[in-house]
Amino acid sequence: MTLTASELGVLSTDTYAQGDPTTFGLPLDHFDYIRDNEPCFMQEFNDPMLIEKAWVVSRNEDIWEVDRNQQRYAADRGYVNMWKVTPIDPTMGGQPAMLTSDGERHRAQRQVMSKGFTPKVVAKLEEKFREYAVTIIDEALDKREFNFVQDIGHAMPMEALGDVLGVPPGDRAKFFSWVDTFAAPFDTRITPSFDYVMEAIGNLMVYSTELAEAKRQNPGDDVMSRIVAAGADAMSEDEIMGNVALLASGAAESTRTAMSHGMHEMMRNPTQMKWLRERQSDIPSSAIQEIVRIASPFTHLVRTATEDHVLQGQEISEGDIVLMLFVAGNFDPRAFDNPREFDLSREKNPHVSFGRGPHQCLGKHVASLEMKVLFEELLQRTKDIQPNGDIEYVRDAYSRGVYNLPVTLTPA
Amino acid sequence: MKITVDFDHCEVHGDCVVAAPEVFDIGDDDDVVQVLDDNPGEELRTKVETAAKMCPVAAIKLGA
Ligand code: HEM
Ligand code: SF4
Repeated sequence: MTLTASELGVLSTDTYAQGDPTTFGLPLDHFDYIRDNEPCFMQEFNDPMLIEKAWVVSRNEDIWEVDRNQQRYAADRGYVNMWKVTPIDPTMGGQPAMLTSDGERHRAQRQVMSKGFTPKVVAKLEEKFREYAVTIIDEALDKREFNFVQDIGHAMPMEALGDVLGVPPGDRAKFFSWVDTFAAPFDTRITPSFDYVMEAIGNLMVYSTELAEAKRQNPGDDVMSRIVAAGADAMSEDEIMGNVALLASGAAESTRTAMSHGMHEMMRNPTQMKWLRERQSDIPSSAIQEIVRIASPFTHLVRTATEDHVLQGQEISEGDIVLMLFVAGNFDPRAFDNPREFDLSREKNPHVSFGRGPHQCLGKHVASLEMKVLFEELLQRTKDIQPNGDIEYVRDAYSRGVYNLPVTLTPA
Repeated sequence: MKITVDFDHCEVHGDCVVAAPEVFDIGDDDDVVQVLDDNPGEELRTKVETAAKMCPVAAIKLGA
């Protein structure tokens, strides 16, 4: 290998847009190279829309360490990912959210919202999710041939987000249209220009204040009602806006992405599909976790070093940005047996797709349930699912969306 | 084995409940995890160790 780690393009849009479908759309050889030879290297970005530079951490164990050590790696000192501007970064004009707060502020927000996400609360959502799934699969069976991402992957995570947050049915269409622009702010097939994203963020912020007011008048069982009931000490107006923006950008696209990569891999691996069909009445959690691992819907997130220290031989200075390359950590042979194998029965699966520290995904039980219910209904009501063309990826190096996954269904 | 949870740190992530439901629980209105049994038998050691390892804020400590 003559290139150095920073020249391999593990954070370039082209790498993911033109990914190899036989290796999960990922540059797995390059990931092996950086983990083995430069497990912490300096990446410069040279793009006005992106951060200047970051230390890239790629081994599974090191990602756990960075994510869990919030004293040393802060989330509240600016930046969320490689993008210079995000709606939840108060240092760049956004509003603070859980993911951009630490310590007491983080705890206060997380405690309010987490009540809407306990395993018990989530279990109650199952019935509704199943109704969505039935409708989605009914429509898909009528069509027979379609883009899985749009026709199956889209509706469930959107409606689920609407339910969790408490968005009334009449507001959902406009709410979903804003959420859609965040999915891929730099893919012009989806979002014509960044101005659309800024406009959607503005609309969403206004809407979240309106929704909060509506829930003060008419509380329900949803997250927004819990937020307003907890009062301004638990969550300020700014934090309400920030957290709605966080949910809008973090909840729906990620789940759709995971489902789409999972569907693609199952079609490529008939043995795995068969294994899952034998368990289609109650899909085991190992299968969902494996889909989330290979999908790695967010390639990375960043933190800021709070002190000078050494990491994998590199001297990190206070204020440096440290980038956790989750997607590389998810294929680390130090942490997984046969990481390149898609194994729905995988037992030891310390994947970092949801993170592993204090900011670990609050919606992971919701996302897992959505996927479980959707795949159960899909498998039970089909005899066969086949590709009907090549997979196409979204042009983005942060969110690993699928743009097109043409499939053909044969009804059961 | 003796279990202590640092309740100032617990953020009700619930990973411990998934790992060792015999020992940990979270009710709908709980602000922190509930320890159902702070001195569980040795047969639960592996599960409790997993819970301690999984806890995202390292709030669970095990004694002898
Ligand atoms: C497969 C789907 C999903 C993936 C891969 C995913 C991934 C992530 C990741 C990587 C983080 C940050 C973890 C860290 O910094 O350690 C996160 C945080 C978060 N996610 Fe998700 N997510 C998914 C679905 C959802 C859903 C469905 C919801 C809500 C309904 C949600 C809500 C949140 C929230 C609120 C946070 C911030 C937590 C905090 O800062 O304490 N996510 N997610
Ligand atoms: S895993 Fe840790 S933070 Fe989560 S409920 Fe258990 S003790 Fe609390």
